[in-house]
Amino acid sequence: MRVKIDGEHCTGHGRCAKYAPNVFILDDDGYNADRGNEIDVPAGEEENAKRGMKSCPERAITLVAE
Amino acid sequence: MNETRADMEADPEVAPEVLKARFGRDIARDFDLDDPMFNDRFDEVLTFMVNKCPISFSKVGTGYHLVNTNEQVRRVAQDWRTFSSAKGYMPNRPEGLPYLMPEESDPPMHTNWRHKLNPHMSPKVIATYEDVIRQDCNVLIDTFIEKGECEFISEFGALLPGWAFFKNVLGVPIDDLAMLVEGVEQGTFALPAEERPSHMARVFTYLDTHLKWRATQPKRGDVIDTILEGVIYDDGTEAPWDHKVSILVDLTFGGIATTTFVMSSAIHYLAMHPEVRQQLIDDPSLIENAVEEFSRVFPPVIALGRTCTRDVEVAGTEMKEGDFVMLTWGAASRDPRAMEEPEKIDIKRETILHSTFGVGPHRCIGSNLARLELTTTIEEWLRRIPEFSLREGTAPVYVTGFLRSMRELQLVWPK
Ligand code: HEM
Ligand code: SF4
Repeated sequence: MRVKIDGEHCTGHGRCAKYAPNVFILDDDGYNADRGNEIDVPAGEEENAKRGMKSCPERAITLVAE
Repeated sequence: MNETRADMEADPEVAPEVLKARFGRDIARDFDLDDPMFNDRFDEVLTFMVNKCPISFSKVGTGYHLVNTNEQVRRVAQDWRTFSSAKGYMPNRPEGLPYLMPEESDPPMHTNWRHKLNPHMSPKVIATYEDVIRQDCNVLIDTFIEKGECEFISEFGALLPGWAFFKNVLGVPIDDLAMLVEGVEQGTFALPAEERPSHMARVFTYLDTHLKWRATQPKRGDVIDTILEGVIYDDGTEAPWDHKVSILVDLTFGGIATTTFVMSSAIHYLAMHPEVRQQLIDDPSLIENAVEEFSRVFPPVIALGRTCTRDVEVAGTEMKEGDFVMLTWGAASRDPRAMEEPEKIDIKRETILHSTFGVGPHRCIGSNLARLELTTTIEEWLRRIPEFSLREGTAPVYVTGFLRSMRELQLVWPK
């Protein structure tokens, strides 16, 4: 599974990292450290990643590939 | 569910006379945030609005649109170029109210300040305040636990957020808290609204003096020093003094009024639902999720506004350049288009989507602090006072405008 974190729309709600701490990491400002990039979701973390995506109030994380 | 203006106009349930009979006014075309009916029938009105009125209108003052669905609120909040914050977040803004930064500014000026301030409010930094906040919860509980009763707002809910923010973030003496809380409350809810600026002025004067004093003191490396350091705007000018004071006022405003409401509502809910209380006592790891759900259903910031910088269409409604638009966060957080069974309060919800802390670049800078205060409060309250209920014959007292606040909550427990 591969996801993209939108560089402009991530505004640091931190919900993604709450639900999927092994997938989404926050930077020192509390924003998704990978914003602007695509990342691979580690195997076994897909469900957590999806919860993180769905609870992002900005819809900043989108699915690139299942 | 109606998706556009046209759907709404064709829906017999949204006909003007039907609404007047049901709500006492046409809430789709003539809504009023300050109407006592809204205060009394809060959940019912918000649920009706999100389902039936993707967009509604108010004729109060110069009038304003209300955008009510999760998707449209997000779109408008993210599009700061079309929907500007620089003319303020309040509809029919009273004369003489100074603008608050960063809230009432747009990028790039807004971004300059957020870059500077964010590091002080990140989850990592906020987590270091946990012990002090937990201790404060217990200091407050100690003052009334033996009595077997308390009025939650004045004895806990209005105090803890101020203590947490003043001690940890601002370094302002807590002796002055009561005066500031009063100033913020009156500055928000005082009627007639023309009285609000004078209450706000008190808060400005106090914080201006505090900032001036800090400028003469050795540096502490805290948020106040960061504000004093200031920022250089994109045009090369330095942020003027009044912007710095206004940053401090905005932080104080956010820091003390809003969290009290979520906290009091959560405690009220737990007083009424022993079974949920028991779930949290049995498994405290559920508390964080419960806090998220409580934030979703008990929003203190009901709606905040933007000004259209050009003609634009939202959900089938034409808006003109200069029109004022309220983003109804409270409605967007209970949108059945975006979540299942939104009217149900479920602390075990798998994913919780809400807009209580705003959406877009103005996302609440205090959200991490607020969440920590709420989690810690519920943990310590349930540990110390696991069994409690609403005092018989009483009910919480609410006041609602573009913010919602609880004025009184009487609790009792076995001594
Ligand atoms: C449960 C508690 C809270 C809620 C529901 C809440 C809600 C909000 C909302 C909805 C916004 C968005 C404003 C907009 O879009 O125009 C906001 C912004 C803001 N909040 Fe909070 N807030 C809370 C607690 C706090 C705390 C504890 C602080 C300070 C420590 C704070 C400080 C601010 C500031 C400074 C802004 C402006 C941010 C900007 O414009 O960039 N808030 N808040
Ligand atoms: S939840 Fe969304 S907005 Fe928040 S940090 Fe994660 S990606 Fe960014």
